[in-house]
Amino acid sequence: MAEHDTNYTLEIKDLEVRFETVDGVVKAVNGIDLAIEKGKTLGLVGETGAGKTTTALSILRLVPDPPGKITGGSITLEGKDLFSYSEKEMEGIRGSQVSMIFQDPMTSLNPVMTVGDQIAEVIQLHEKIDQKEALKKAMAMLEMVGIPGNRGSEYPHQFSGGMKQRVIIAMALVCNPHLLIADEPTTALDVTIQAQVLDLMQKLREKYGTSMLMITHDLGIVAEVCDNVSIMYAGRIVEHGTLEDIFNSTSHPYTEGLFGSLPNIDNRSEQLKPIPGLMPDPTDLPAGCAFHPRCKYCKDICKSRVPAVTKLSDTHMVACLAYEEGTGVTLGGDGHE
Amino acid sequence: MENKKAKKRSMAMEVCQRLARNKMAMLGLAILVVLVLCAVFADVIADYETKVVAQNIANRLKGPSAEHWFGTDEFGRDIFARIIHGSRVSLVVGLISVSVSLILGGILGAFAGFYGGRIDNVIMRVMDIFLAVPSILLAMTIVAALGSSLVNVMLAIGVSGIPTYARIVRAAVMSVKDQEFVEASRAIGATNVTTIFREIIPNCLAPIIVQATLSVAGAILSTASLSFIGLGVQPPDPEWGAMLSGGRNFLRDAVHLTLFPGLAIVITILALNLLGDGLRDALDPRLKQ
Amino acid sequence: MHKYVIKRLIMLIPVVIGVSFLVFFIMSLAPGDTARTILGEDAPIEAIEALNEELGLNDPVLIRYGRYMVGLAHGDLGTSYKSGRSVFTEVMSRFPDTLKLAFWGMVFAVVLSIPIGIISATKQYSLIDSVSMVFALLGVATPNFWLGLMLIIGFSLHLRWFPSGGSEGWKALVLPVITLGTGCMANITRTTRSSMLEVIRQDYIRTAKAKGVGYRSVIYKHALKNALIPVVTVIGLQFGSLLGGAVLTEAVFSWPGVGTYLVNSIKAKDTPAVLGCVIIFSICFSIVNLCVDILYAYIDPRIKSKYK
Repeated sequence: MAEHDTNYTLEIKDLEVRFETVDGVVKAVNGIDLAIEKGKTLGLVGETGAGKTTTALSILRLVPDPPGKITGGSITLEGKDLFSYSEKEMEGIRGSQVSMIFQDPMTSLNPVMTVGDQIAEVIQLHEKIDQKEALKKAMAMLEMVGIPGNRGSEYPHQFSGGMKQRVIIAMALVCNPHLLIADEPTTALDVTIQAQVLDLMQKLREKYGTSMLMITHDLGIVAEVCDNVSIMYAGRIVEHGTLEDIFNSTSHPYTEGLFGSLPNIDNRSEQLKPIPGLMPDPTDLPAGCAFHPRCKYCKDICKSRVPAVTKLSDTHMVACLAYEEGTGVTLGGDGHE
Repeated sequence: MENKKAKKRSMAMEVCQRLARNKMAMLGLAILVVLVLCAVFADVIADYETKVVAQNIANRLKGPSAEHWFGTDEFGRDIFARIIHGSRVSLVVGLISVSVSLILGGILGAFAGFYGGRIDNVIMRVMDIFLAVPSILLAMTIVAALGSSLVNVMLAIGVSGIPTYARIVRAAVMSVKDQEFVEASRAIGATNVTTIFREIIPNCLAPIIVQATLSVAGAILSTASLSFIGLGVQPPDPEWGAMLSGGRNFLRDAVHLTLFPGLAIVITILALNLLGDGLRDALDPRLKQ
Repeated sequence: MHKYVIKRLIMLIPVVIGVSFLVFFIMSLAPGDTARTILGEDAPIEAIEALNEELGLNDPVLIRYGRYMVGLAHGDLGTSYKSGRSVFTEVMSRFPDTLKLAFWGMVFAVVLSIPIGIISATKQYSLIDSVSMVFALLGVATPNFWLGLMLIIGFSLHLRWFPSGGSEGWKALVLPVITLGTGCMANITRTTRSSMLEVIRQDYIRTAKAKGVGYRSVIYKHALKNALIPVVTVIGLQFGSLLGGAVLTEAVFSWPGVGTYLVNSIKAKDTPAVLGCVIIFSICFSIVNLCVDILYAYIDPRIKSKYK
């Protein structure tokens, strides 16, 4: 991977993030590697509490500092080490080179500022133009996300949820960032609006060539918009590959479980197969492979040995003892769908 | 029904535990316990006749000493003893006036919330009128009309506190009413008023407890204020505000006349506020982390 | 927007009517014979009867109230039993002094409390936060008249920096303003702090940071305006306590305002004067609350659009 440095918008290596709380140390992110190629979309998939949002916030260095701390690893944006920047330099990067949009559009906009002002603010922070110009650009951006420009003088409460999310997308993309991080951007929206918003994001991304980190738990969205997928569990990446790799050559038992828990429209009477158990308590992670208490292929060795990353192909990686030599762990007959 | 009772009991336990963890609230509680003990055992601590009421001009305006811990006032009376007995007055006024506010306000609020419509409108307009007069002025007016006495002070402060409780109970009733209506439409027969009351009380218990604690503090402050300007408790009753009023003339040479009763008020109100804030935090469902 | 203001101003009228009825009714509950109080215990019965008749005190409550209301509509608050002069004149001649005290008391409170509240919230758990919270707790628990007495002892009698009474010059204003404003300041500080803490946790603050907005801007541009909304409401409510507190403060500092007049009128059983004072105070309070509501609509666009 090292030779393709300049092809990568984002490279995360061995990231570790801890939270020190009254109830113990929360190991939110435990050594993950992520890479996003220029212009491509990486889907980061996992259940709530897997550490996805924390990873995203780490890129922006917005992990709330007491109690959170980035304790290891490196994040490189367009070849530059983000951890070497001062806070002031980070402020310059946020919103202009990396933008993030969050899950709940209803509460993500400042209720006492007009929508136009909020977009213009981003422009003025990162470009040297006066307020009038910034407002003009803001209105143009609104048009681009499908909102009449003159509505820029209205306040957030005058917009619906879907339109608010469009405003937020406008705010995120107006300065042409290299990377857009989208943290469950459609989860809080109606299904019909979801499709519109995703569509809009795709259009804009293609236009500007923006790379994207799409955080989601919805495999349907992954199939729609992602080029590559990383599956995250308990702060670790358990499988990574292209869309085909993950959907057609599912390798990790957890990924298998995720697909298995989807209802089968062709066989409605078939029982739902949820993954048994719950995500582990991050202050008390299981020893060995973090997934072992819920894994149907679990063997004794899984309880004590942390799986290493096994390369299945140039693009496909998995972290499971079943793929390591000499562990004796097998995935039965149906390890590959 | 059993399940509900068990759930309520465990919720109460949880609230108590959360409160116990709050050191400031516990401090307030401790001070209040001491205060209540002083009030209850006032006669044991300092005999009323000889120390509180009897005048001893030869002994007047003496500073703090071994015999008189807080000194003596302008009539030679022991200030410490008067403060102890004053705690009785303060506590009684606090509890009774808040009870008056709570009961009268609660009834009005329950009616307003339950019947809604015009009755609600009328009651709330009347409450707004009460609220347009600053509460201490309202209390002053009532005392002015009925005369200065402890009973009238309790009544006055009680009446001026009615709108607060009317609002709390009204809000609680209205939130329950929506739920009960659904059940009622399925049940046979008319909505049982007693059942409604059984549902209302848990709903408004939390804000009422918090408000009552803070109201007692306010009542004590108001009593002291009224007595200070001569409209409250009449001599020779030992009330902290009245003691301050008496001490005014001796600011230069006998500070202790004003210092100690004032401190008593501050400490009492502080304790009640600490407890009230603690209760508010302990009862706040959002604070569950 | 203007419609809203005018509508609210008109709504003041029923409030004033209501307040005057309430207070009138309360005063009418007073036992005892007013004429006898005025003329003295030893006055002859005929004189007492005559005065009762003249003052219309033998008529039923509602008729007396009706007469009072008619007078009120003309700005006539009746005649003082004690001085014989128009209550309106008596009250209004003293009103500027009380207003001065209340105004500066509120200014003192607001100017200090909001910055302290903001700093406390942004530097939560720091020394400044702990100290200011302790002071706020004490400020709320301290009766303002006792604070006044303590200030007099310290700054008037011992240090001789400020006079202990009267209303001449700015020096006489200092101690009464501090006395009156401290309780308010404590309340507003606590409210500002908790409001800021609440706002800082909101999602839109996170959005602002993700946009690259600097720390100062986040606090003063994004957070503050939102946080001030409940604070403004509290300021309005505190004004009522301020007016009540003014009565006590005037008593401590012998300040020649409406408060002192009110207390003296109560002691003299001068009913029209008492009524006049309370009504004027209530009107004042209502106007301040109206201003607060209007300000509220300006700060919060969600409210503003409701009244467009």
